[in-house]
Amino acid sequence: MDDVESLEEKMKAIEEGKNVYETGAVVKVLDYMIEVRGLPNVSYMERVEVQNKGYGYVNKIMPNSVMVAMMKIDTAIYVGDIVTSTTQEYKAYYSKDAMGRITNLFGQDLLTDKYYEHMEAIPIERETIPLMDRTKVERPLQTGITGIDLIYPIGKGQRQLIIGDKKTGKTQICLDTIVNQKGKNMICIYCAIGKTKKEVKNIYYELLQKGAMQYSLIIAAFNDDLPPVMTQTPYFALSVAQSYMENGYDVLVCLDDLKRHAESYREISLISGKAPGRDAYPADIFYTHSRLLEKGCQYKNGASITILPVVETTSGDITDYISTNIISITDGQIVLSSKNFQKGLKPAIDYGLSVSRLGGQVQEQDMKVLGSLVRRKLLSYLETRDVYELANVDEMSEELKEKMKNGQKILDALTQYKYEPRSVEETIQKFSFLEGNNEQHT
Amino acid sequence: MSVGKIIQISELTVQVLLSSNDVKIRDVLYCILDGKKHSFEIVELNDHYATAIPFSNVRGLKKGIELEKEKEDLSIYYNDEILGKVFDAYGNLIDNTTIENQTKRSVYQKNLSLEEINIQGDILRTGIKVIDFFTPIQKGSKMGLLGGAGVGKTVLIKELIHNVYQSLSSNAVFVGVGERSREGKELYDEMKESNLLSKISMVFGQMGENSIARSKAIYSGLTLAEYLRDEKKQDVLLFIDNIYRYIQARSEISTELKRIPVENGYPTTMISDISTIEERINSVENGSITSFQAIYIPADDITDEAVQTVLSHLDGQIVLDRDVAEKGLYPAVNVFRSTSKLIDKEKIGEKHYQLVQQVLAYLTRYEELEEIIAVLGIEELSESDRNIFYRSRKLRNYFTQPMFVAENYTNIKGQFVKLEDVLIDVENILNGTYDNIDEDKFLYIGTMHE
Repeated sequence: MDDVESLEEKMKAIEEGKNVYETGAVVKVLDYMIEVRGLPNVSYMERVEVQNKGYGYVNKIMPNSVMVAMMKIDTAIYVGDIVTSTTQEYKAYYSKDAMGRITNLFGQDLLTDKYYEHMEAIPIERETIPLMDRTKVERPLQTGITGIDLIYPIGKGQRQLIIGDKKTGKTQICLDTIVNQKGKNMICIYCAIGKTKKEVKNIYYELLQKGAMQYSLIIAAFNDDLPPVMTQTPYFALSVAQSYMENGYDVLVCLDDLKRHAESYREISLISGKAPGRDAYPADIFYTHSRLLEKGCQYKNGASITILPVVETTSGDITDYISTNIISITDGQIVLSSKNFQKGLKPAIDYGLSVSRLGGQVQEQDMKVLGSLVRRKLLSYLETRDVYELANVDEMSEELKEKMKNGQKILDALTQYKYEPRSVEETIQKFSFLEGNNEQHT
Repeated sequence: MSVGKIIQISELTVQVLLSSNDVKIRDVLYCILDGKKHSFEIVELNDHYATAIPFSNVRGLKKGIELEKEKEDLSIYYNDEILGKVFDAYGNLIDNTTIENQTKRSVYQKNLSLEEINIQGDILRTGIKVIDFFTPIQKGSKMGLLGGAGVGKTVLIKELIHNVYQSLSSNAVFVGVGERSREGKELYDEMKESNLLSKISMVFGQMGENSIARSKAIYSGLTLAEYLRDEKKQDVLLFIDNIYRYIQARSEISTELKRIPVENGYPTTMISDISTIEERINSVENGSITSFQAIYIPADDITDEAVQTVLSHLDGQIVLDRDVAEKGLYPAVNVFRSTSKLIDKEKIGEKHYQLVQQVLAYLTRYEELEEIIAVLGIEELSESDRNIFYRSRKLRNYFTQPMFVAENYTNIKGQFVKLEDVLIDVENILNGTYDNIDEDKFLYIGTMHE
């Protein structure tokens, strides 16, 4: 830790005659939110410590007291406990050694539970990247998944939502994408929010086995971490990503998942007494996610942050409040359907509901031409299939029969097992049966 | 001179203990901390206390900090140099340019009186088939652009800027409220590339910024549009993307002020807030403001209180539908729910009116037939129903259009289509002239005689 540094600062402050150890006393405990009387000189977001029991940050300053959100509680807090100010902004700790490990925002290596030796304090959340500092998103990010690279492509600096029910392969798309970045000069951050320890360990071993941990790190807030930790962790992940980006790296961040994040943020808001809005979420739930996802961008220095947020739905409903909020923030969504998953169409992408707002802008010319052809044919096929479901095949026009046959072939060519990435050439090869079909429009 | 000091801080509000009586609502207070200027706008006064909302992050602020008062309310440049410039929500330039002429004006202006408002106006052609045919637009009117997330709202707005600018050669103002920064920047770049930038002013308070910025952008943008209308006497185009985000930002602030919310957490003042803004968007004797307002529909729920409040001010609406988008038909306009006050024999003429009625009748029948076919198959339909079925599918395909700004997605060149051509084509489809042409041939074309 930067103990030395902060000690020096304190020494200096003492020399200058400042009162370093300003204290207050706990007057109210609401789970992990505490009210402290005293501390007249703390600043907003300052780190404060409850002696030997934990620490947190100043969340609200009132005329005679302050509210503190606790990030860590070791033993129970009593009314009357002494709280000390630190004159420091609350910061997270990050070490470059975290690459290849599972880490949290306290600078702990979760595989060993030890703190990293060389850590630096970094802001949990950095300033929003100014509008004019962004440039056009246009470089493709290859996921290796044909249904994505060809039809709903993702570009470097894009925010593409992955949304679907439980057990439809949402996390798998993140993992496939991470594994496919091998040798492509990307830094990948998988940020687990409210996942179980077992799940995170599994993901770690899977990535390790595929050789993907060399260029990846996992940032985790488990489901038994305090809600303030859970809500801050994705900001921390993006803060780490931002520092890499500013140093010229392309970064990929997977946020798994934001529904859980929204729920823990709601919990804090309701406990703090904020008025509930739609579905009892606080009024600023949109801003909570929008400013997080706005960190994703193609930056003026040429580097980028690509974000793949994940949202879990129930019974395939992507029109609920949190889902539509996030859909309206991201640059597109990959919708996964459990029906497709059960039919064995994997990845279980619902091609009708998925969208990429960037489309061909982030594809190479070949993929762009083929992609728009396949997409048009596929959507038209899926729609026709529904309408003509009961029609007699023999009585169909030749054109229609051809359309039905090609449609099925397209669906087959899009089916792909996990960790079987296809390169651009392989993808184009797969669709060679459409040759000569590339009619009028181009 | 200090007018008070901070006694309470939360993320979006500060409480100020006043030492002066010379403050009113909307006064701007400021302090300078570590070289950084923090500004606050007063929103509530209570005896010796004022509640103010901070323009930027409050991180690092402490109790006891003294605040001073700015001479003027929030204001923005009010002169010719605004064109081609990009402003933040508080009227500051963010595109590294400078403005010499310092003439400014407060962003809060009086509403127009009944006498000043002019309600006459010609029809404005957009060159977008489905809009000119089903929802023609009058100069000086307010059109809503509705659509859930990801059904192509912003693309349509860009296409409108592109097409309408070319036929009117009036200047435009674009206000980005709570939308993506990426899109804002791309719009800027695209305007620059197509040499349209010098014709437009932009104001952005995007989704990465706090609710104060998002709620103020609209006032700054309106002031710019008013300048073009009143001083330059133009027919101004005003694009607001997205007006729902303004209400959303107001709810966030309202919650922080601990005011009692109405349904779904919306602020109590929602209806009056929107009225104040919408009444400023009007036309006068010598100039008009034609506005296109994107409205986001939360949770795909069109009955949402905020959406309905905005709708009550509009002259027409263009509804984008997920079901249509899902079929790959863009622009994904739902023709049944889109409306325009111009659909009237006296305004658009007998022929156009009759065709609209007939097409809507066909499409309505088509929807019913779809259900019948799902059960019985096409063969069971009567000949006239079968005609309606096939012709409706052709009509539906015909109203898709290759758009200039979507060339990237579709890989097809954009087209500006004249209404006269649309009327001829539609009539021909309806009377069976094209019965032998495959329905796929109608997709993404301009007119039939190509």
